[in-house]
Amino acid sequence: MKAGIQSLIAYRMNFLGFAIGGLIYCFVMYYLWKAVFSSSGSDNFMGFSMVDMTLYLFLSNVTSQLTFSSVCDDVGEEIRHGDIAMRLLKPVNTDLSYLANEIGGNYLKFIVSTIPMIIGIEIYRTLAVGNFMFNIGNFALYLVSVILAYLISFRVNLCFGFMAFYVKNLWGMNILKNSIINFLSGMLIPLVFMPEFLRKILEYMPFSSMSYTPVMIYMGKYDTTEIIFRIAVQAVWAILLYALSKLIWFHAVKRLTVQGG
Amino acid sequence: MHRLFKIYRILVAQNLKRVMEYKADFLTGAVSFLIDQAIGIAFIFIIFSQIPQLAGFTFEQIVFIYGFSQIPKGLDHLLTDNLWCVGYFIVKKGDFDKYLTRPINPLFHVIAETFQVDAVGELVVGIALMIYVSGSVNLYITPLSVILFILVIPFSMLIYTAIKIATGAFAFWIKSSGFIIQMVYGMNEFAKYPTTIYSPFIRNFVTYIIPFAFTGYYPALYFLTGQNPLFNIGGTVIISVIFMSIALLIWHKGLSAYESAGS
Repeated sequence: MKAGIQSLIAYRMNFLGFAIGGLIYCFVMYYLWKAVFSSSGSDNFMGFSMVDMTLYLFLSNVTSQLTFSSVCDDVGEEIRHGDIAMRLLKPVNTDLSYLANEIGGNYLKFIVSTIPMIIGIEIYRTLAVGNFMFNIGNFALYLVSVILAYLISFRVNLCFGFMAFYVKNLWGMNILKNSIINFLSGMLIPLVFMPEFLRKILEYMPFSSMSYTPVMIYMGKYDTTEIIFRIAVQAVWAILLYALSKLIWFHAVKRLTVQGG
Repeated sequence: MHRLFKIYRILVAQNLKRVMEYKADFLTGAVSFLIDQAIGIAFIFIIFSQIPQLAGFTFEQIVFIYGFSQIPKGLDHLLTDNLWCVGYFIVKKGDFDKYLTRPINPLFHVIAETFQVDAVGELVVGIALMIYVSGSVNLYITPLSVILFILVIPFSMLIYTAIKIATGAFAFWIKSSGFIIQMVYGMNEFAKYPTTIYSPFIRNFVTYIIPFAFTGYYPALYFLTGQNPLFNIGGTVIISVIFMSIALLIWHKGLSAYESAGS
């Protein structure tokens, strides 16, 4: 964990670049939705007001920073260069060593990025709605949901990273992974806007657990039973994906041949 | 010039051989960018399922702008993808020395080294979308506009290239500038939609400071309406030339500041 914090500090510029890039993207989307709302002539769009939409965009951004996992690239690179052998030699569980590393970085992100962003979002909401709406209970549940979301994201990324055993174009795979996740997780467009049947399917897929669920909980769009149900869905996916990543790992590591030394 | 062209041809041929060797790689890359594009379109489609038009543009017109914006982006991706590597790791690892020891212009060499076929995804989608909506959208087609269409695309592409050269060159001072390229390049998102939806500050920003609006919306607007060729097309050419000059200046300053990273 400490190593993770240190490497995030060392690569703070990279993190800053991605954080600012993400914010820019939020603004593009903000203006796009503003235009959509003004073109539609109504200020309520399937239960979303423009204020909701703005909250949704920025909360998705915050959430995606927290659930971001670079394990896909890390594993991929190590497999390609054969460095994975070094990890195999060490008497620590391979995926746990990646996990510990990342959690350190995420802890720091929470302090330096998430908290200021949340404060900013709440100030915006207070000004836009006219009263202070922050709900500590929802926030606590949001955090529980984010932790599960991160675990899911970590496992999904790990599975994609293991693809390096089979495919060489990791950059292409990465683009593919990101665009699929962005779309299916509701980061690009809230799932409530999607056609009914598609929404129903996506709500049960692991992707919606990675961003949509925590964000909707934070925004107070779910009632208590629904929150419990959604968090249970997340937990189930976290377990299933854990099993899947183990399965791929055991299959793949048998084919591993490291060249040179 | 003739010599450069010959070298370029050889390097591209080498790249294509590599592509043929790793066909699966090429397929993953091209399919990935294709799906990425498909999702972009699905997004516009879902938005338009709720509203008849956006800021005065119909679905088909927005798709045309989107399609057009993918052409300069794809061409730049095809031809100059290696600039990313300069920013991310070539300088940091000290590998840039290689380019300095060769008897050709280092910038030319870096760019010529990679011919990124993944870009086919963007190009195919861009062209297909423009063709797809050309029937239902009232395009402004005159002999002049056809010539301008062919003429303006390279200039739009050079805006992308200039931005990548300028931001990539920061690596000569700070070793790794991948994050700067990423940050600035990411603003191309703004080019896909009419600039009229943005606040005046952002509109001016994407027009004059990081001029991605000239890689999509402005030139596409001319082909949709025939309005204001002086600004929409002429502006693209002028901005492109100005930004390329600045980028080359930064690159050359950077080259003289470059100290090998060593190992």
